[in-house]
Amino acid sequence: MIIDFQLIIQSLPRLLQGIVVTLKIAGGGCAIGLLLGTLLALMQTSHSKLLRFIVGVYVTIIRGTPMLIQILCAFYVLPQLGLKLSPLYTAIMAIGLNSAAYISQIVRSGITSVGIGQFEAAKVLGLSKIDTARYIILPQALRIVLPDLGNEFVTLIKDSTLASFIGVAELTKQATDIMTQTYDYITMYFAIAILYLILTSTISLAVAQLEKRMSNHV
Amino acid sequence: MFKIERVTKVFHTKRILNNVSFTVKKGEIALFLGASGVGKSTLLRILNNLETIDSGTISLDGTLLNLSTVNATHTIGMVFQHFNLFENLTVEQNISLPLEKVLGKSAQEARTIADALLSRYGLADKKNKYASQLSGGQKQRLAIARAIAMQPKIICLDEPTSALDPVLTSYVAENIQQLAKDGYIVLVASHDTALIEKLSCTIYLMSNGSIIESVQSEEFKNNTEKFPLIKKFIAGHE
Repeated sequence: MIIDFQLIIQSLPRLLQGIVVTLKIAGGGCAIGLLLGTLLALMQTSHSKLLRFIVGVYVTIIRGTPMLIQILCAFYVLPQLGLKLSPLYTAIMAIGLNSAAYISQIVRSGITSVGIGQFEAAKVLGLSKIDTARYIILPQALRIVLPDLGNEFVTLIKDSTLASFIGVAELTKQATDIMTQTYDYITMYFAIAILYLILTSTISLAVAQLEKRMSNHV
Repeated sequence: MFKIERVTKVFHTKRILNNVSFTVKKGEIALFLGASGVGKSTLLRILNNLETIDSGTISLDGTLLNLSTVNATHTIGMVFQHFNLFENLTVEQNISLPLEKVLGKSAQEARTIADALLSRYGLADKKNKYASQLSGGQKQRLAIARAIAMQPKIICLDEPTSALDPVLTSYVAENIQQLAKDGYIVLVASHDTALIEKLSCTIYLMSNGSIIESVQSEEFKNNTEKFPLIKKFIAGHE
């Protein structure tokens, strides 16, 4: 048989270690992306031309260059600037900064989808801009874009494979290391494809459940 | 006394409000009547700092009002045509959140005030529901409760009957009349002529951004012939 299930079972401990690292990269990247992306979205929907310009430049650069190049730049350039991070944290930061650009556009679309009446009611009641964003607009915007944020997290799981280029022992790196020892490429690629599928499907299901819970009152 | 003098608002080249002047005393209702686009909603939006004015003055009890600060001082409250209730908050939170964040009330104090207002407006059993789960009439009562929770001196209601079933008009009118009895200065913008019958108010008929005829509702009911423009407007809507 082409697939060596015995090898998969033997490799499971290493692959599971890889999954933990993959989840750390995707989770950390998503946290950075969500925080920075939300901030960028608020800047982009502000009245300040300067803030909107800064976000525009950031998004253009990040979306216009490959993530692999960004990870490699972070890996080689940051130490030159005195910022010495482990390969894992370099990957989390690079992927988080990349994700922030995409998430900023997702959240921005959510903010602009919230009815103008919500902003006006908050203004008339005297709520500050920060309180309006925090308590009224962002909760509604995030609920609207939750499916897109879920997709972004799934994408991050898949993008985390790029961290293997700087030596981070995530799932793909663990699998390729096993391949160099066993030369059984088909089995290992099959195994990690299934594991990635399980990871992304679980996240998609979790997001769907969250979406259902959040939309109960709408 | 709330006094508006020669307020003008221009959008591009069109005069949306043209030298509008009127006064309303405490406990009185001013009903701005007119077709769509005559400027009555713009007038209310200006008073709530949602639009700016190009000229004119607005004063309350002899003191000039700086409209850019009316939101911060919550001098004027607004009940929007489509209510604009916060969709992500419960009925109770719609009232308690501004009390906490704007008036600095404690969470407990804010909830107590909110619950008292919800009881007064017959919404006590809905406090944990969301705005989308309320009927049109309930939404409006919540919007009124939210506005008066901030203790404004003036309350504006924009088209208070347009989003509701016509049979609710009497009930809405009672709520508006009660606001005046409670001592608020009440400004209502509407094209619904049924309100003339049901409210004790001063009617201001607007056309092309100007007030073209005004009269006390009782006086109008006694002698409609004396006010041909309002009579014609009502006839056009029957």
